[in-house]
Formats: sequence, C-alpha cells, structure tokens
Amino acid sequence: MNISRRSRKMFFSMGKGLILFIVCMFFLAPYWWMVLISLKPRVDIFEPGKFIFKPTLEHYVSIIKNAHILNYFANSTIVSVISTIVSLIIGSVAAYGFARFNWKKRESTAFMVLSQRMLPAMAIVIPYFLMAMVAGLLDTRVILVICYLLFNIPFTILMMRGFFEDIPVEIEEAGKIDGCNGIQVLKELILPLSLPGLTATAIFCLINSWNEFVFANFLTSVNTKTVPTSVMLFLSVSGTKWGEMAATGVLSSLPVIIFGIAVQKYMIRGLTFGAVKG
Amino acid sequence: MIKRYIKKRPYIPYIAPAMMIMTVLTVFPTIFLYLISITDYQLGWDFGRIQVVWFDNYIRLFSGRDPDFGNAVYISLKFMVITTGIEMVFGFMIGKLLCDCEFKLKPVVFAILIIPIVMTPSIAGNIWKLMLNSEYGIVNYFLNRMGISKVTWLDAKMAFTSVVLADVWQWTPFVSLISYAGLCSLPSDQYEAARIDGGNAFQLFRYITLPSLRPLIFLTLIFRTIDSLKIYDMPFVLTQGGPGNSTEFLSLHVYRLANAQNGLIGRAAANAIILMIISTAVSKVLIHYQRKGE
Repeated sequence: MNISRRSRKMFFSMGKGLILFIVCMFFLAPYWWMVLISLKPRVDIFEPGKFIFKPTLEHYVSIIKNAHILNYFANSTIVSVISTIVSLIIGSVAAYGFARFNWKKRESTAFMVLSQRMLPAMAIVIPYFLMAMVAGLLDTRVILVICYLLFNIPFTILMMRGFFEDIPVEIEEAGKIDGCNGIQVLKELILPLSLPGLTATAIFCLINSWNEFVFANFLTSVNTKTVPTSVMLFLSVSGTKWGEMAATGVLSSLPVIIFGIAVQKYMIRGLTFGAVKG
Repeated sequence: MIKRYIKKRPYIPYIAPAMMIMTVLTVFPTIFLYLISITDYQLGWDFGRIQVVWFDNYIRLFSGRDPDFGNAVYISLKFMVITTGIEMVFGFMIGKLLCDCEFKLKPVVFAILIIPIVMTPSIAGNIWKLMLNSEYGIVNYFLNRMGISKVTWLDAKMAFTSVVLADVWQWTPFVSLISYAGLCSLPSDQYEAARIDGGNAFQLFRYITLPSLRPLIFLTLIFRTIDSLKIYDMPFVLTQGGPGNSTEFLSLHVYRLANAQNGLIGRAAANAIILMIISTAVSKVLIHYQRKGE
C-alpha cells in the first residue's frame, strides 16, 4: 500500500514534469528555430529536416552590409530611449501625486489613466497620420516619440504609483523633521528607494516601444523605419529572404529578452500595469 | 488665486503635466477622428475638396455596401472569444502546474515563458510564417514524419487557425505568469479546512480557488480580451489579412482602407470608430462584472 502510493506519486510527478517539458518546448521552439535558421546556409533553409549543417554568419554579414539594418536599430533605439526618458520624468511625478495625496476623484482619475490601455492604436493612428502630414512630421522620429508617449506615460504612472506606495510615508516625514526640504527629500530619500522600480518601469517602457508596430508601420516609410517594421523588407518578389529575416529577428529580440529576464521579478507587475504586485 | 486653488489641491502640480499631455494626445485626436469619419476625405485630396457626408460612411457599413466590414467584425469577435478562452484555460493550467511542482529548474521555465511575451510580435509572426510554410516549414516536416499529409496552414481554410495558434503561443505565458502569482499567494489553511470537511478537488477549485482569484482572473481576462480584439501586427505579418478576407480583422480592415493604395481615410475613420466603440463596450461590460462581484 505504502509502496504503491509512493510509486503513484512518483508517476504523477513524472507526468507533470513531462507536461512541463512539452510546454516549455512549445514556447521555446519558434525562438530556437529562428536562431537555427539565422545560422543555416542559404540552400539548407529549404530543407527543414536538415539539423546538422555548417553554421554560417553570412546572413548577419549580409543584413549589416546591404539592408541598412543598423539604421533601423539606431531609429528604434533613439525613439525608444527618448520616449522612455520623457515618460519616466512626467509619469513618475504624476505617480508620486497619486501615491501621496488623496482626493475625492483619485480612483476615477486613475481609472481614466488605465483606460488609455484599452484604446485601439489602429483607431487613433488615423488622426495622427493626418496631423503629422499637415505638420510635415511624417517619417520623422519626433512623431514616433510623441506616439509612444501615448502608452508609456499611463504605464509609468500606474507602475510607479505602486512602487511609491511601497515606500513608507514615515521615511519622508522623518526626513522632513531632520530638516530636509522638499527637493532634498526627493533626491536623498525617494529617488534611491524607488530606483529598482524606476529601472523596471524604464525597461518595460523600452520593451513596449521597441516592439511597437502600428504607429511605426503607419507613420514611417523610408528614413525612420524601426526594427519591427523592417522585417517586412525581406519579403521580396523573389521570395522571402528567410535567413536575413531570422538574423534581424535574433539581433532585435536579444536585447528585449535579456531585459525581460532581468526584470523577471517585476514581470507580473509590469504585465498588469501595476495592478498585481506579485 | 491660483495659489489658493493649488493649496487646496496639493496634488494638482504633480499630476497636471501628465494629464495635460495625455488629454492632448488622446482627446483631441479622438474628436478629430469623429470629424474625419463624417467626411469623404481621401488621401491626396486638397482639403478644399472635402465634403461632409454626415453618416454616409456609417450607413455604408451597416447596409451591406461594405461586405468586408461584417466579416471583419465577425472574425474579430470570434478570434477574441477563441484565443482568450484557450489562453485563459491553458495559461491557468500551466500556472497551476508550476505552483504545484517544486524543482530546481523553475527559473529556467520562467525565462522560457517570458520569451514569447517580450518578443516583437511582427518578428514572431514572420517566424511562424516560415514554420507553417506548406512546402518547407518545420511543422509540416514533423507532421509528415508522423504520417499526416501536407497541411496548407496559410490557405483560406486554415489561416484563421494559424493566427489563433500564433497568438496562443505568444500570450498563454502571460496568463500563466499571472495565475501562477495568484495561485501561489493563496493561503493553504482554507484548503486544509475544506479537505477535512470532505471537499473534493473540483469543489475546492470551485468554491475556494475561483472566488479568491476572481479579481485576478477578471483582470487577465480584460487585458487578453482587449488585446486580442485590437490584434494587428501578428496577422498583418502572417497572412496580410488573406487569403481573401479570411483573416482580415477589424484593425487590418481599417489599415487596408486607409493605406496609401486605397487612401479612403473617411471610411477608414468610420471603421476605426466602430473598433473603438466595440473595444470600449467590451471592456465596460467586463469591468462591470468585475465590480459587481466585489
């Protein structure tokens, strides 16, 4: 009886392990396949069963030399970084207001901020397109930075609100009693204490801006294409250049994945706009 | 006077800049969108040529003069229900499995689950396009090996399923991570008490797990529903809305009307308004139910 129960338990845990393994394989497979394709010689890409091949970097060399991929990376980086910095400054200040003061309509204001998340980008991009056209801002980085503020600011407000609320008010009061003025309290106490939160929020903003597709696809055409829209370039008349596409994919997803794993601890917070502190 | 106003409301200086920027960035464009939607503006026209056609763009949508619109609404809603359902169920199951098991490699599993979530959807879409290719895709290669004949994943019949598959791949981990956090934070004493009282596994789940995770489940549901309703980049890369209109979701329909080749901005704006109304309505309903339970 005892033995059979133990073996049953073992059987179950092995089953669970197996299921988890399959699940992991499913989620990993496309990424792993992309890496493989990016290293495969051109001719072997059309033979999926060929798992043993001589790895080559020809696709990486080709995209850097011919496809101006570095320009797209520069565009993506500049737009994401500027938009993130602006959102962090404006958003954190607002978040501090939400966390430290209480007013009658606070929660409905916070809900209004959250409801920005529900707005379909495809709907709002049409007026942006026309306004940018009139203002001569089409295909510039400025318009993309402005558009990315649209989702980065609400995100920063809600995320940082949670982080500020985690810092006890008493610390600030103690600082004030010790003779710090408002700016000193902010610089000496709040900033260092909220640094992990700020970093995590910044990383999420960077990931979101980096991956953004609707605005980038609609508002840019030649000069300021970002990496996500540049993958469309590999669809040519003579068929898709899969190797180059995969190499671009590897290069562009590497930073987001490293960033994502770095903020693993805050992943749930980030995914739920700070609603679940996980 | 301003000073006194602020002294009464000390939060104003903090939130004002952000609120002002957000209003400028969303309210004005939305009003502008409504205005465009009652005109017949087409890309490349002088602004003098624009005529106000009032609700003609909307009437066109609902009178059947735009057959793709009905299809777009239908498949968008269908896609929303199917993907959200699959992702919620599987995500929850994976979360439960992870919470029940204790093993050393757990951080690795989490790292793997994070990859789809943070991966650029357009790039993921391209990879799926390659994997699902009927001639030289890896999926068909394995299916062949198992004795299943060629499946043309991206033809009119299967394209919708393929987009569902890719979306499930990308967003199930999202549900898993959140439900993992929720499940693991549940106190175990309730379960023990219920088990002593003779509750079976289903009853425990129905009467303890579900009610205590209700807010979390609703939150995940809202995020997933809205995001799948808005989906654009994945189908745009994977199928371009085709073949025919088999995967032309609402966002793609708006894009097809508004892009440089067609340039029917006025009509696209009316479609966009409908998209906005549907997503607002869906989120309102869900939020209503979420609050009702509290």
